Amino acid sequence: MTELAPSSSFREAFRRWARRVRARVLLRAALGGAAAGAGVGALAAGALWWAHEQALIPWTSLLTGVGALGGLAWAQRRRWSDLDLALYLDGRLESRELVATAVAGAGEDEVRAVVLQRAAELLHREDPRRARPRVVSRWHAALWLGLAASAGLVLAPPAPRPAAPEVAPGAERVQLGQVEGLDRIEALARLPTSDRAQAKRLAELADRAQRLREQLRQGMEKREALAQLAKLRDDVSAEQLALGDRANRAGTDAAAEALSRHTGTQRAAKALGDGDLIEFDREMQRLANQAEQSARQAAKEALEQAERAAKARGAEALSQELGEQRRLFAEREQQAEALRELAEALRSQGGLRPEQEELLREFGEQGSPETQRQLTESLGDALLELSEAERRQLLENLRRRAAQTEGNAPAPGTRRQLEDLARQLATEPGREALREQLRQLAQPPASEGAEREGALGEAERGGAEAQRQLGMPLPSEGPSTPGAGQPGASPGKGGAAPKAGAQGDPNGGKGQPGGPGGGGEHGAHEGTTERVTGEELRAKASARPLPGLPFQGAGVGRAPARPGETANQVGVEALGSLGAAELGGVEGSELPQEYREQVGRYFQP
Amino acid sequence: MTPPDDPPSFERQLELAAHAAHALRQAVGEVIVGQAEVVDQVLWGLMAGGHVLLEGAPGLGKTLLVRTLAECLELRFSRIQFTPDLMPSDITGTNVLVMDATGRSTGHFELHRGPIFGQIVLADEINRATPKTQSALLEAMAEHAVTIAGTRNVLEEPFFVLATENPIEMEGTYPLPEAQLDRFLLKVVVPSPSEAELTQILARTTGRPVAAPPRVLSHAQVLALRALCRDIAVAEPVLAYAARLVGNTSPEHPGAPELVRRGLRFGAGVRGAQSLVLAAKAVALLEGRAQVAFSDVQRVSLPVLRHRLQRSFEGEAEGLGTDQILSAVLEHVPARPEAILRTVQSG
Repeated sequence: MTELAPSSSFREAFRRWARRVRARVLLRAALGGAAAGAGVGALAAGALWWAHEQALIPWTSLLTGVGALGGLAWAQRRRWSDLDLALYLDGRLESRELVATAVAGAGEDEVRAVVLQRAAELLHREDPRRARPRVVSRWHAALWLGLAASAGLVLAPPAPRPAAPEVAPGAERVQLGQVEGLDRIEALARLPTSDRAQAKRLAELADRAQRLREQLRQGMEKREALAQLAKLRDDVSAEQLALGDRANRAGTDAAAEALSRHTGTQRAAKALGDGDLIEFDREMQRLANQAEQSARQAAKEALEQAERAAKARGAEALSQELGEQRRLFAEREQQAEALRELAEALRSQGGLRPEQEELLREFGEQGSPETQRQLTESLGDALLELSEAERRQLLENLRRRAAQTEGNAPAPGTRRQLEDLARQLATEPGREALREQLRQLAQPPASEGAEREGALGEAERGGAEAQRQLGMPLPSEGPSTPGAGQPGASPGKGGAAPKAGAQGDPNGGKGQPGGPGGGGEHGAHEGTTERVTGEELRAKASARPLPGLPFQGAGVGRAPARPGETANQVGVEALGSLGAAELGGVEGSELPQEYREQVGRYFQP
Repeated sequence: MTPPDDPPSFERQLELAAHAAHALRQAVGEVIVGQAEVVDQVLWGLMAGGHVLLEGAPGLGKTLLVRTLAECLELRFSRIQFTPDLMPSDITGTNVLVMDATGRSTGHFELHRGPIFGQIVLADEINRATPKTQSALLEAMAEHAVTIAGTRNVLEEPFFVLATENPIEMEGTYPLPEAQLDRFLLKVVVPSPSEAELTQILARTTGRPVAAPPRVLSHAQVLALRALCRDIAVAEPVLAYAARLVGNTSPEHPGAPELVRRGLRFGAGVRGAQSLVLAAKAVALLEGRAQVAFSDVQRVSLPVLRHRLQRSFEGEAEGLGTDQILSAVLEHVPARPEAILRTVQSG
């Protein structure tokens, strides 16, 4: 066996050692890369799991292989040189840089030969395991952890789905085939109006209501529908208070002032000042029904003065309204007179029943439309119960009274009515016509303004009803007054309910007695409610909301005050931003009369 | 020893060197108690062909060590006690007029050699002489020759100077400037003996005089070992490491540790790096190795570099010693590349 020269012996031994070391270094780098790839793959798998893409998770294991290849490439790129490797071996074998010196070839020939020989002996003598680089480290645990995590995510149940985003309040769509109440707003287009501008405004309101109905049929956002309804209601309310606008305010005040000069028309003045044409019409009806001629005359004169005053201040619409009231006053006066004549004729024939006497007396003193209706119905029943002889006797009495009144120069209308009555009682068709006439007498004619006012009120309530149907939040009921009906501000007439009309809860319970509102429901009348004193009342804040109705528009902030402006108007000037029913809400609450007057004086311009 | 007509192989010479080092240590140890590291360092200086500055308190055996070493090596020993009034000619010698037997001048001058003409010269308390006198010694150390009256006189090899310094009594001394300190290969700090060593010293020195130490190496063998020392192989990474170490002692070096930047004004220079490698070679030689290891460089770095560093004002104010700074440098500069070192340490 040929002995190798020291240099070749060393080179051979060194190559063998180097191959082992380099292989392990490469393996370690590959494992490190694989661990990094597995870690990244686990993160990617987590992201895919969260994104509900579990089908793609197995593919993330490819990253482990990519990492291993990357590690190998990195290790190959940074491959140790022979000298580096020799330094490593010297470090591990504690050979005092013998191998490195041998590899570097330092020193003279003789010295180098010694070094090579000693290095070769060292490499042959030492156990290669002493210089084996560690392949696996703690950090490589990431490989198994990453793979396990990926596998676990494949088998894991899908990530919880994120909760659906909440729909903004009111953003849900509503679709209604039939909307209650909107027809009452649409009916505004058919109302008699005092001028063309008002007719146009009412037609526009009706048109908007119709469009809204159509939109609701097709479906729209709830909040949009509610907003449109609220706007409609506000505009209807503003129309109700048209007498208080810039054009009519001065005339209204002047007319009210003219009416208030007379004792008998002070309540009418108050109603006119408040812009409440329904109440004003009722008051005029009451005055026309009065038995006392002088009182009626005074009322007519006051009405005439008010008309002139309104015209003088340029309130054309109000002037027209007062002119119509004057015409109606005469007509109502004749009807009331005819009713009284009929009653007198019946009394002279055989006397009236006590209740009829009472109604007649009350009718002459107060002249309320309710009494008029009751009296008319009672007299009509009495007429139909008459026998043939009694009817003839009644006819005779009527003719005699007609003759008697001729000298006293009664109103021409009255005489004609009495003659008509006498003629109609003679025949059966005439009696039928008489019954019809009596029914008409029980329903005296209302002014256009009052009719319009009533219709506007109905429209406003119709809007509220539509809001309720759409699910607008209702005001919470007070604990002590479930189903309480607010008292009517004034007696109702026909379908025109008072603004704060009695809308009782049919389930009853303790409630405040409903007012004498003729047109509205009376509600439950049982129970009592604590009195509200003037000192405790703080504007609308203390007023009770109307049960069953949504909140009215509320004013926010403070309206800037300017000299000469009044606070009992809404929708105009400084109070333009306030809700239309703000002042109405105060007016309709249980305010002591003294307090109202005090407030009225305070805000008097 | 191998006969001169049959020169031993390099391998054999290395074995002999290791054996001689061992024998020298033993011989010195018969006289000197302890101070093994000091003895080793003095031997490194001797083998590397440099000079050694011994610093230590009086009475630590510095002079005895040098004298004993001279006896062991069969070299001519001379001692110069440096005092402030010592003249250069007292060291180098001078030409004197030759007189005949009658006392009349012969008209001839003869060189009267000073103690510098010894082979192992002990310059005791070198910092007590004036700089002019010190420079006469330092010139001889550098040139291995002295010029007297215009005649250059080569000193006999091996010429080995061991100077001592007393760091305690600084009054009336002339501290050696850094440029001259640089000429010493090593600065050896002689520590105080331990209690056990002191006990042994007392036992040896208070009885009968100790017998002279045996002669271990001849004059020729010392020269052969010095030549052999230069042949020790140094791999490039080791040289680079020595260079990195020296470079990191400079405050201007970008990678210098914070302690160096703060505590030093100047670092070691080229002569320091050369001394580092030479001393490391001596270490390898005395251990019978043919190559220098990183650990050799680390081992000699303190005695080789400590007197070549100039501390800054901040370093002096903070009390930073050069040994402390050098330790920081050794810790800061890795011998192997980082990746290899990590792999070695990870095992």
